[in-house]
Amino acid sequence: MNTKLAYSLTAFVGLFFAVFFLYPAVVVLKEAFYVEGQGFTFSFVGEVFKNPVYTEGLWNAFALGITSTLASLVIAFPLALIGHRYLFPFKKSLSALILIPLVLPPFVGAVGVKQILGIQGALNAVLVKFGMIDAAMPIDWLGEGRFWGVVIMNALHLYPILYMNIAASLSNIDPAMEQAAQNLGCPPWRRLLRITLPLTTPGIFAGGAIVFIWSFTELGVPLVFDYTRVAPVQVYDGIKDLGSNPFPYALVAIMLVVSTLVFLLSKAVLGRSKLGTAPRPKGKNIEVRPKRGKAWLCTLFFLGVFFIASLPHAGVIILSLAQDWYATIVPEVWTTSHYQEALSHPLVVPSIQNSLFYASMATLVDLVLGVAIAWVIVRSTIRGRAFLDALVMLPLAVPGLVMAFGYLALSQDGEAFRFLVQGATENPTWLLVVAYAVRRLPYVVRSAVAGLQQSNLALEEAARSLGASPARTLRRVSLPLLGANLIAGGILAFAFAMLEVSDSLILAQQSEHFPITKAIYSLISMLGNGYELASALGVWAMVFLGISIIGAVILGGKKGGLFRM
Amino acid sequence: MNGAWKKYLGVFLPMALVVAAPMMLRDDEAAAISKAELRLDIITPHNELIRREFGEAFSHWYQAEHGEDVYVNWRTPGGTSEIKRVLDSAFRSAADNGKEGVGLDLFFGGGSYDFKQQADKGRFQKLAIFDTSPELFGEGIIPASQSGETYYSEERDWLGACLSSFGICYNIDSLARLGITPPTTWSELGNPQFQGGIALADPTKSGSVAKAFEMLVQQKIHVHLKAGLSQDEACAKGWVEGLNLIQRIGANARYFTDSASKVPHDVAQGNAIAGMCIDFYGRSFNEALKKEDGSSRIVFISPVGGTSISVDPVAILKGAPHPQLAQEFVRFLFTKHGQMIWNAKPGTEWGPRMRGLRRLPIRRDLYQEPYLSDMVDAEVMPYETANEFVYDYNLTGRHFTPLRNIIRAMCIDSHAEMKAAWAALIAADFPPEASARFYDVAPVGYEIALTEIKKSLKSDDKVDSVRMMNRLGKHFRESYRTAQALAQSAQSVR
Repeated sequence: MNTKLAYSLTAFVGLFFAVFFLYPAVVVLKEAFYVEGQGFTFSFVGEVFKNPVYTEGLWNAFALGITSTLASLVIAFPLALIGHRYLFPFKKSLSALILIPLVLPPFVGAVGVKQILGIQGALNAVLVKFGMIDAAMPIDWLGEGRFWGVVIMNALHLYPILYMNIAASLSNIDPAMEQAAQNLGCPPWRRLLRITLPLTTPGIFAGGAIVFIWSFTELGVPLVFDYTRVAPVQVYDGIKDLGSNPFPYALVAIMLVVSTLVFLLSKAVLGRSKLGTAPRPKGKNIEVRPKRGKAWLCTLFFLGVFFIASLPHAGVIILSLAQDWYATIVPEVWTTSHYQEALSHPLVVPSIQNSLFYASMATLVDLVLGVAIAWVIVRSTIRGRAFLDALVMLPLAVPGLVMAFGYLALSQDGEAFRFLVQGATENPTWLLVVAYAVRRLPYVVRSAVAGLQQSNLALEEAARSLGASPARTLRRVSLPLLGANLIAGGILAFAFAMLEVSDSLILAQQSEHFPITKAIYSLISMLGNGYELASALGVWAMVFLGISIIGAVILGGKKGGLFRM
Repeated sequence: MNGAWKKYLGVFLPMALVVAAPMMLRDDEAAAISKAELRLDIITPHNELIRREFGEAFSHWYQAEHGEDVYVNWRTPGGTSEIKRVLDSAFRSAADNGKEGVGLDLFFGGGSYDFKQQADKGRFQKLAIFDTSPELFGEGIIPASQSGETYYSEERDWLGACLSSFGICYNIDSLARLGITPPTTWSELGNPQFQGGIALADPTKSGSVAKAFEMLVQQKIHVHLKAGLSQDEACAKGWVEGLNLIQRIGANARYFTDSASKVPHDVAQGNAIAGMCIDFYGRSFNEALKKEDGSSRIVFISPVGGTSISVDPVAILKGAPHPQLAQEFVRFLFTKHGQMIWNAKPGTEWGPRMRGLRRLPIRRDLYQEPYLSDMVDAEVMPYETANEFVYDYNLTGRHFTPLRNIIRAMCIDSHAEMKAAWAALIAADFPPEASARFYDVAPVGYEIALTEIKKSLKSDDKVDSVRMMNRLGKHFRESYRTAQALAQSAQSVR
């Protein structure tokens, strides 16, 4: 790749990232390191480590990150391996269905979980019905074993990311290696441990890094379980404190460092893998059709994971159709009135239009930047490209509220981002587009990197040697080869942008600019049936996003290509 | 049609159908109002129902009065803590740029604490209604204060629009299951039978919630004053008893939430037995879950003599882009029509279009016929119950900020240790030595709170206040751990 072009692209992307990510983050985080009249200080960070409540919060967040990642792996690895090796009934549909956790709007999912796990929830009603517990002594699922509750919920929400990564790695393993081991008499379990598992480590670490950072900084799930001694909840509590408390910003700074270290560590481990430089598989993976019983066992396993992972969705759907759902397995009286009331609400139509525009524009920005960054990371040899790779992952590690307050401060009259807020109505459309784009960029970059790594460099070299310019090579050869990955990654970024919460709540203050998540949030505050109304709109969002994700799988084809590092 | 097009159609056709559904169901009346050219920008923590009803009612009223369409553009960054942040940020930038206003006309809703804070920073302008309708102000219609609470500022720059109080909501099924008598006072929420079953709002996130905790402490002081103790003695003793009560309630708590609607919802769903809740939240959930026989599984009560009745004010911001229109909005709020929206039944002359708001108007002259029979909560009569508790600023008003920070160190940051100690105390039947350790609030006594703690919190040196909070947190965690160990050893001896 032309080094000059690589440096130009890096400079452009670096500038965008510095202005729209680092600058607002620094504006907010400076509260952790700067005291009016005293200047720069490490006192607040020091005090975090001196306060056992905060060190315990950090440790708990770290422990949640590690255990959630391991638990996700326990679900994702067998799924990916079975999907890779075997043909079984309904394989194609089930492979799409197990991606269902990706379509759950965040706080609506929490409502669904509480309907099922609450003291008078559906699970206790089932146990009472079958005589397994006394109705007078229901189990407080949410109040007891909070740590493990959070781990299970995280794992059930995040396993698709690891699943897709491992599937990508498995598809890159040359079957000849496993066949050679088999021919030499290696038994299946040993083959798995000595050949397959080591060769899939790039996928495990690639997905693991995202899952770790996600669950390390996860706010919503610990809040559902009222598990407060964990760093992201402490940050959230601190930011919302009526006094101006510098602690949350010091905690965010520490969380950023931890997230970066974990990412770099996983990159280092990935760098040691031989697979990263291995040629494309020469042999074709042959899917085995197991005996009928075993094939149905595979189907059952996929169905089981789908069933458990979709429980929060089921909770939301049932609640949206319930007159009152309390202490029974399903509601006694059903109604569609919540849909009528929620979907006819004046907030809804503009919010759908807004969300579609914000998310589409953000995805477009991400696609352009994502391809440029991936191009530099994969095709160039310039110094610092690994740093760029780590840098674009950071938006995953900064809590949404922190970034939102940064954007808010910088978009005031006379401030640097004021040009993004337009007209007398202070329309924040472009501010939201930028905010969404920055926070969703890591997904598109990972997808584009995977696509570039999988596409054949020789084709690009052939185009160049026949006289095509770099731009023409990109347009006529590379982009068409990348198409599937970009469509899949783009639709995924679009889906996550549609579900964005923090920026939406803080930056979209006027109802005419509300995105769909803020409309749902507003409906929750309706007294009496607010949760039911929010669930109805949440179901609408799930159906819309479900179609988007299935569209990503159908149009993108290679779902395994997503997220590969 | 080739395969690729079928694929695209298969994805985009269902997508189009899903998007079309809400467009077909859209409420045309509300959509039409949003197209008006004249706009009023109001920042508010009020919920969507209140925004919608007042937005539409004001538009209709203004059209009838002035023949022009107006659209109320609600700005809703979140609750009062987010609004404080947005206003701070906007006014800071405005000052840097030599501007007076921040593009907002009014601040509507929240607690009087939030309005006092903003007024102290000089961000409000005078309300014309005090000059144009002086007959409204006085004991008969809108008193300057009631039960010790201020209903409008001396500077006439903010004014309460509706009444508000904190109380207790409880789930009758859960109480019956556990054999607990329905609570009537704050003190009963400290009963060990409620262990793990109390839902509390977080006083560090909301001035109104902090105020409710202050009432709880002040009620204890009142008891000693009535018993004839001097003010100093009553304050010192009542303060400790109030903090100890907060400890007991906190130890029973499942959580301290920043979400106002979470408490009554969790109580209604049986996830909590009882909770501390704003009056209209409790009443709305009670109404929503009413059965055919008129009973409801969630009940709201005002604790006997334990809560004053405060207001949710309105104010016009300095440099408002539409000052005349803003004054008209304030005028509308205090007409009988504007006031009746808070509590009239839907379908009555001045009632809301969608559903009852279950809030109480501030105008005292409406609590009589013919208005009363149109009200949903006709039996509440707030001005008659307001004097059951008279708030005295001199007793705890200056402790307001220290108190919420003390609760943070004493209950919220140390909640895990506190709950463990409480469980051990209950199991060991409250051995005296362990109980004394649990209730040790010596480092946050009445005088210390007003001197050392307040000084540190107000200090410019944030490191100093951070260290002070760390020190307090350490004291309480160690106390709870020791109390737990003492209780466990006492139990093993038994």
